[in-house]
Amino acid sequence: MRNKTFPILAMVLMLVVAACTPASTSPSASGSAEPSESEVAVTSPDASAAPTDAPAAPCAAESSQEDPIMEGVEEGAEISFWTYFLSPTFDEFIQCTIARYEEAYPGVTVNWEDHQATYLDDYRNSINSDTQPDVANLSNNEGWVREFAQAGALLDLTENAPQEIIDQYFPNLFADNLVDDHSFQFPWYQSIAVELINTRIYEDAGLDPAEFPTAIDELPELCQTIKDETGTLCDIRLTVTDYLSQMTYEGGVDVMNEDQTEFTFDSPEAVEWLQMYVDMVDAGTVDTDALTTALDRVALLIFSAGQAAFYQTGPQLIRVVKDNNPDLYENLALAPLPLGKSGVTQPTSMAISVKSDTEFPNASMALAAFFTGPRAMLDFAKIVPIYPSTPAAFDDPFFSEEPELIEDSARPLAREIIENQQNILPPIPEKADVNDIVRQAVESALFADVPAQEALSNAVDQANALIR
Amino acid sequence: MTRRFTLTPYLFLAPALALVATFVIYPIAAVAFYSFTDFDIITAPEWVGTDNYRRLIADPTFWKALTNSAVYLIVTPTIIVLSIMLAIVVNRRLRGISLFRALYFVPAVSGSIAIGISWRWIFERNGLLNSALISMGLLSEPVQWLTDPDYVLPIAMLLTVWAGVGYYAVIFLAGLQNIPDELYDAARIDGCNRFQKHWHVSLPGLRPQIVFVAVISSLAALKVFDEIYVLTNHTGGVLESGTTIVFYLWRQAFVLSNAGYASAIAIALLLATLVFSIGLIRVLERGDAT
Repeated sequence: MRNKTFPILAMVLMLVVAACTPASTSPSASGSAEPSESEVAVTSPDASAAPTDAPAAPCAAESSQEDPIMEGVEEGAEISFWTYFLSPTFDEFIQCTIARYEEAYPGVTVNWEDHQATYLDDYRNSINSDTQPDVANLSNNEGWVREFAQAGALLDLTENAPQEIIDQYFPNLFADNLVDDHSFQFPWYQSIAVELINTRIYEDAGLDPAEFPTAIDELPELCQTIKDETGTLCDIRLTVTDYLSQMTYEGGVDVMNEDQTEFTFDSPEAVEWLQMYVDMVDAGTVDTDALTTALDRVALLIFSAGQAAFYQTGPQLIRVVKDNNPDLYENLALAPLPLGKSGVTQPTSMAISVKSDTEFPNASMALAAFFTGPRAMLDFAKIVPIYPSTPAAFDDPFFSEEPELIEDSARPLAREIIENQQNILPPIPEKADVNDIVRQAVESALFADVPAQEALSNAVDQANALIR
Repeated sequence: MTRRFTLTPYLFLAPALALVATFVIYPIAAVAFYSFTDFDIITAPEWVGTDNYRRLIADPTFWKALTNSAVYLIVTPTIIVLSIMLAIVVNRRLRGISLFRALYFVPAVSGSIAIGISWRWIFERNGLLNSALISMGLLSEPVQWLTDPDYVLPIAMLLTVWAGVGYYAVIFLAGLQNIPDELYDAARIDGCNRFQKHWHVSLPGLRPQIVFVAVISSLAALKVFDEIYVLTNHTGGVLESGTTIVFYLWRQAFVLSNAGYASAIAIALLLATLVFSIGLIRVLERGDAT
């Protein structure tokens, strides 16, 4: 009898645990399920950014904007389309847009799939196994477009897309991540990074949220003040997947020489940039968990738990704060991002690209243009705080209305900000490996007392050895 | 006398052999092939001879990861000792003992990612441990345990031990229940106290289970990934403090797209585990023979 009771109890417990696990782990589990790529890069309207209250059906909605229509779409084409982390929250938007597309091009069929945490692996494997989708949602910020374009997997849109389609985008966005001066992506939804401020902590530190620093190099002093006055640490992140980009924008560092033949990220500017973080770690003013995490969600949860004075993210993620901590939501303020020494901000852009050897290039480009066109962009922006890549979409009164919610407060300024964003990072050869070398160098300076100059110079030597 | 060939046994074996060939032998052969190539998953692999293996030998991160994995093996004796102790404790005829046995088994049936996340909550800056230590006056300000290179690996090992003890205790419990009561009676008559009784009867009786658990838990320790992945937020810990060999393999293959180099790491891991397992079994079997 005793021997029978144990397995039965074990089975019951297994069922209980199986039933309870998702609920009990959901806040962080979602963070771990979502790849850092999306959160670091674009703060995209993925599962984390998705509104929980589903919007009204965009199918029936009237629009001030038109869908772009292309000539020469192949009759009877059947094309596959992958999106990244958009289902189920945005199913209706995507299905409605596909329905309009299929209506505009009778006989053309779209097979849509949404891939999530394994997106990048799935896409790489699809290229290798010859099952690459005709049209795919790729991240500009994470360098996916450039990676796959350099591998010859994407269609050259500068060469193949009609000029009137190219002209529908902000020129700086179409020119994001060029390879040999050619674009391989239509820019899709944009995000604007802002500083969320916990006004309680900020004011307790004797600071005025309206006077948030406008330059990156003011942050060390700010963090010291906040620590001294409130005991709170700064919730700042290093972009562990793209250090070169961060030092370019924040430190004004030229990471390669003009000929693009050698790395130069051990210059005085680079050392100064790294030393700023070293000093903050030494002073104990930053949360090192947040500083070195590969997941945006980790740092966001620290902020949304009310344990940090400010945090840099996209306005669409204010929803997370609202859901997790309504009290904090009532005490939020927004400030523009402090500028680095480069004086410009990086486009935070998702893109849509087309397979290089697709059987239906026109139908595929037409679908990519349709989703990135003014009509679809406007529909999308109305259901989540993202911003269009097409100037025409901003002509809708929606973008000039006075926003009521704090998460929408960047909306009237969005066009100007997006228009002026610039990708100043040159194409980096062996980018992932070089970034890993820089990661090790940065960590050695931050945590192993290696002088910043020595750490970066060693890293430059290693990186140059990779490309020689 | 001639041996007659009969097809029947081979037909019975065929389905299993086909599965093994497809899902074990072919992948190992493919990985062995890729280990001699420069392969980024996207473009076709390019033959580079032994370049990946030469790079492996000169790669300090590989050796650091291998060292971390070797250190991780400390969990094996710890798990064996604690599991046997737990099995002895729950091997009693007490009211409600089945519930305790099931409770100790819960970590074994919980998802490793869920466990890892729970442990993150404990060791985070504002987590349970810091709160407890501060409230007891043992700390003046929180420690960032998971970004301190000295603590990452020990915390991951502690997690592995905690999660594994219940599972292995069930194996030892089954072994204990197979030891005849007469042996314990004889030991008692011979004047053994409680400790001596287990030392002289239980441990020798559990030798097959100890060999099994030693091999299985060592292999699991050499292949540890989930704990590191979750506890370090996918980074492997600052200064590679928690980077184990499988974590390093994963990073090379799926973060850095160096599938050829990752295959070389996989082959090195295969050889290391093979040599280690054969050595361990021989040592333990030698002990059995004496």
